[in-house]
Amino acid sequence: MTANTEKTLKGDKFAKDAASDKDSGCDETTTKLSRSTFVAEVPIKLRACLEIIGFRKRKEIVELGQGEAVIGRMRGCTIRLSSNNVSRRHARVIFRNEEYHIEDLGSTNGTYVNGIRVAKCALRSNDQIDVGGVKMLFTEERILEKV
Amino acid sequence: MTNAGEVKPLVTFWGTRGSISTPGRITEKYGGNTSCITVQHQDTHIILDAGTGIRNLGIELADEHKETQNTPSLHLFLSHTHWDHIQGLPFFQLAYLKDVKLTIYGSPQKEVFLAAILKGQMDSEYFPVGMATFPADISIQEISEDVIQVGEVTIDWQEQVYHPGGSVRYRLRVNGKKIVYATDVELNRIFKPHPGSGEHRAAARDYLEFVSNADLLIADGQYTEEEYLSKVGWGHSSIDLLVKTAYEAQVKQLAIFHHDPQHSDTFLDQLWRKNRSKYRSAYKKMEVFWAREGLTLAI
Repeated sequence: MTANTEKTLKGDKFAKDAASDKDSGCDETTTKLSRSTFVAEVPIKLRACLEIIGFRKRKEIVELGQGEAVIGRMRGCTIRLSSNNVSRRHARVIFRNEEYHIEDLGSTNGTYVNGIRVAKCALRSNDQIDVGGVKMLFTEERILEKV
Repeated sequence: MTNAGEVKPLVTFWGTRGSISTPGRITEKYGGNTSCITVQHQDTHIILDAGTGIRNLGIELADEHKETQNTPSLHLFLSHTHWDHIQGLPFFQLAYLKDVKLTIYGSPQKEVFLAAILKGQMDSEYFPVGMATFPADISIQEISEDVIQVGEVTIDWQEQVYHPGGSVRYRLRVNGKKIVYATDVELNRIFKPHPGSGEHRAAARDYLEFVSNADLLIADGQYTEEEYLSKVGWGHSSIDLLVKTAYEAQVKQLAIFHHDPQHSDTFLDQLWRKNRSKYRSAYKKMEVFWAREGLTLAI
């Protein structure tokens, strides 16, 4: 037991609990921690990825930033897919109002989310995207970012 | 979206939930906001219902307004005035912009005037700001014409009796496409397993004619067949019956809408997994999906 240990067991109910703790072989009282231990300044950041599945037998994970990510066949696209089924600028992923959205850019073969052809769609984790036959998995998670 | 110069109407789901908003992690995929859909064609913005989903629409339109200074002319068609179809209106940001023009349409068959109902929900007992203080130019019209023309969109409508208090279904025609919004109706009372009365047969015929060949039908599918048995008379349809009826009417795309508040994302995904092959084999020519908040389709 340390010097800053504080007795937290008060009153009949707690006294009974203490007795019960003693009976169970737990004879030490609980150490009280200061509130600052729990309240730390840790901003939460959203991390989102597109996992390209099985395109030319490769598996690639692309981390999405908060700018625009264009998916297409053309050089200069953020995610370049060299397939004739993919339009030159096929679709884009944008971050707006704290969520990711995919938008079709007038592609020939369309952009699908979970099997539905979409013009636009707010994305949720584990959405399956299909761009000209190339399958991708969208995932996002909240991560703690050190200050 | 442009394809060979063609501008397709865009249908966006802002709220897909029925009865009451259901925020939280377990509904974040299909959405927790109540009924609100937009059909946008060029500069024409048609809003179908003003459930809580209209709040996010207002935020997006206000952002666009700030960027472009364009003042959209908005047309809101209400299926009826139950809470889940009007409750978002006091939180619609564009109603607070003075250069916005908003026309609200609804059934003429209410015992109380539509304007009185909408103003009533903003009475000081319920809401801090009265409807009269909206700076936007708002006009409330009980529909009197059979057909309404808004820009290039032609809208006709029918009263639906199989919902407590009634509701209205709308059919929008634009660019050779047909979009039907038919929510809050108990199809199970129209399409009975055994031949019903003459009234039922007429209601069934009217419904099938109205939705026939729709490029997109957005329709009430609140319950599973099992759930429906304990919800008879509540004014909503079961999913299997809706799918079967839509297929008979040769609907091309069916968005199942007005999700029950108890139906979590997991529940809807499991239901989809269970029924997917049945829908795809029995209803080959029709695309069926759950309406989902944040989804935009080009029709």
